[in-house]
Amino acid sequence: MSIVVDSVSKRFGEFTALDDVSLEVRDGSLTALLGPSGGGKSTLLRVIAGLESPDSGTVSIAGEDATRQPPQRRNVGFVFQHYAAFKHMTVAKNVAFGLTIRKRPKDEIESRVDELLRLVHLDGFAHRYPSQLSGGQRQRMALARALAVQPRVLLLDEPFGALDATVRKELRAWLRRLHEEVHVTTVFVTHDQEEAMEVAEQIVVLNHGKIEQMGSPKELYEQPANEFVMGFIGPISELSGRSVRPHEVDILREPHEGTAEAMIDRIVHLGFEVRVELTLGDGEKTWVQTTKAQAEELELAEGDIVWLRPNAPAGEPVAATLP
Amino acid sequence: MRSRYALRFIALGYLTLLLGVPVVLVFVNAFQDGIGAAWDAVTTPEAQHAFYLTFVMVAVAVPLNTIFGVVAALVIVRQRFRGRALLNAAIDLPFAVSPVVVGLSLLLVYGTRDGWVGNWFAEQGIRIIFSTPGMILATMFVSLPFVVRETIPVLREIGTEQEQAAATLGAGALQTFFRITLPAIRWGVAYGVVLTTARALGEFGAVSIVSGKLSGQTETAPLFVEAEFRRFNETGAYAAAVVLAMIALVTLLAMNLIKPKEAQT
Repeated sequence: MSIVVDSVSKRFGEFTALDDVSLEVRDGSLTALLGPSGGGKSTLLRVIAGLESPDSGTVSIAGEDATRQPPQRRNVGFVFQHYAAFKHMTVAKNVAFGLTIRKRPKDEIESRVDELLRLVHLDGFAHRYPSQLSGGQRQRMALARALAVQPRVLLLDEPFGALDATVRKELRAWLRRLHEEVHVTTVFVTHDQEEAMEVAEQIVVLNHGKIEQMGSPKELYEQPANEFVMGFIGPISELSGRSVRPHEVDILREPHEGTAEAMIDRIVHLGFEVRVELTLGDGEKTWVQTTKAQAEELELAEGDIVWLRPNAPAGEPVAATLP
Repeated sequence: MRSRYALRFIALGYLTLLLGVPVVLVFVNAFQDGIGAAWDAVTTPEAQHAFYLTFVMVAVAVPLNTIFGVVAALVIVRQRFRGRALLNAAIDLPFAVSPVVVGLSLLLVYGTRDGWVGNWFAEQGIRIIFSTPGMILATMFVSLPFVVRETIPVLREIGTEQEQAAATLGAGALQTFFRITLPAIRWGVAYGVVLTTARALGEFGAVSIVSGKLSGQTETAPLFVEAEFRRFNETGAYAAAVVLAMIALVTLLAMNLIKPKEAQT
């Protein structure tokens, strides 16, 4: 089901968490709310769930105005960063909670719980308590619990934020696959651009309570709307007062029209990728990303003087100019 | 290494002198004329009535203070309003004020002749002072803070995320409270109940003032112990004291027995 957020604002005392935010999430899509902490992304998610009420603006879910609905009436699945596991209940009871509240027949609950535990690869853990599960398992349990009531939308607040790097990678791929299977409209909050790029179909970049840009991962990377989005989605380096992607810079052995002179400070070999750190003529530091083959062809060495030129393809402007 | 033993010696020695020796002596004195004499002393009609009355105190004060305690803890932890700090401080009043003062202040409010509302109650034929209702009020007053104080930290610790999760899953406020919040705080509440029970069992000062100490009528078990002592019936005093101590001990043990291992993680 689609979600429409229309000019929502929310303040906490002096702090403006959301400033006139409007947003549409398509039915069945997988959207990431991306931004630095304090940018308003969690607040937006909580407003959609009904856990916070907006000072102004409206939220509608599946075409129905939900702004004044309490969370228990919205039929959304919500997954918290720290799992919010019901510690005194077994895994099966946790997953069954929403169905128990809805007073569904016992055998229906049982079969649905079994099905969900299989879906999240927790079959065999039904009678354990949350304290006997790892972080990743707890989060999968929380997901199954949220999905049990067949929510109209699934909302995840930094779902992998409390997990270690390996488990995180695993769960990202798994969330994508799960979304392909279940196809429920999903919105998740993250501050990790890599996570957003890898998992989401649509990314909404939020900063200071405002939407900076919305679009597919490719669009955001290739056509960032502004300096902030460019810096947040992928690396940047600065060249003659402009921000460019570090791989969109050519290193030349001779001066040409529009090149900048620089001295190589350090060459870092990362395997296929080579990072060249340089100091420009005006004393500014920058870096360029190149390949092992190119670095060898140019015979780059620390202390060499080289010339740099942005190579952004014609027609696609290099994002923005620095003031 | 040596200092470790020294510390242990100090801790155990302190406990032995302050707690162990007196309690053991009470037991010894209770049975100095044999178990039969002790049994006879605590099964007189006066003694039985005293224990019955103490049971009434516990049966009324503990449930009421438990319900109020949980509600007050919820309000103090979860709500922000003017006067919250005042409420929080007021709850500790029974700890700070001497029970004798509590008893006297109850006289001022409910006293039959010149109490603030005592007259009105007397006209309705309800006797509060020198009667069971007054004693219950005194017991409730002095045992009020325990459930609140034991519940507040666990409520803070569990946070609100589980409750929010329950709400998004469709649970209403009452369902969330009984299915999520109460089970999560139950050991804090249970410990508060045990302390409340112990205090209600043993309260002497406040109850003594409002009771009038009529033997076989308004005498609770602690008052009975004191009365026996004044009548030079030492066996009766010590035997009743032992029974009181045993009841308190059983309450503590019962909680530890029903507390499952899972709760400790």
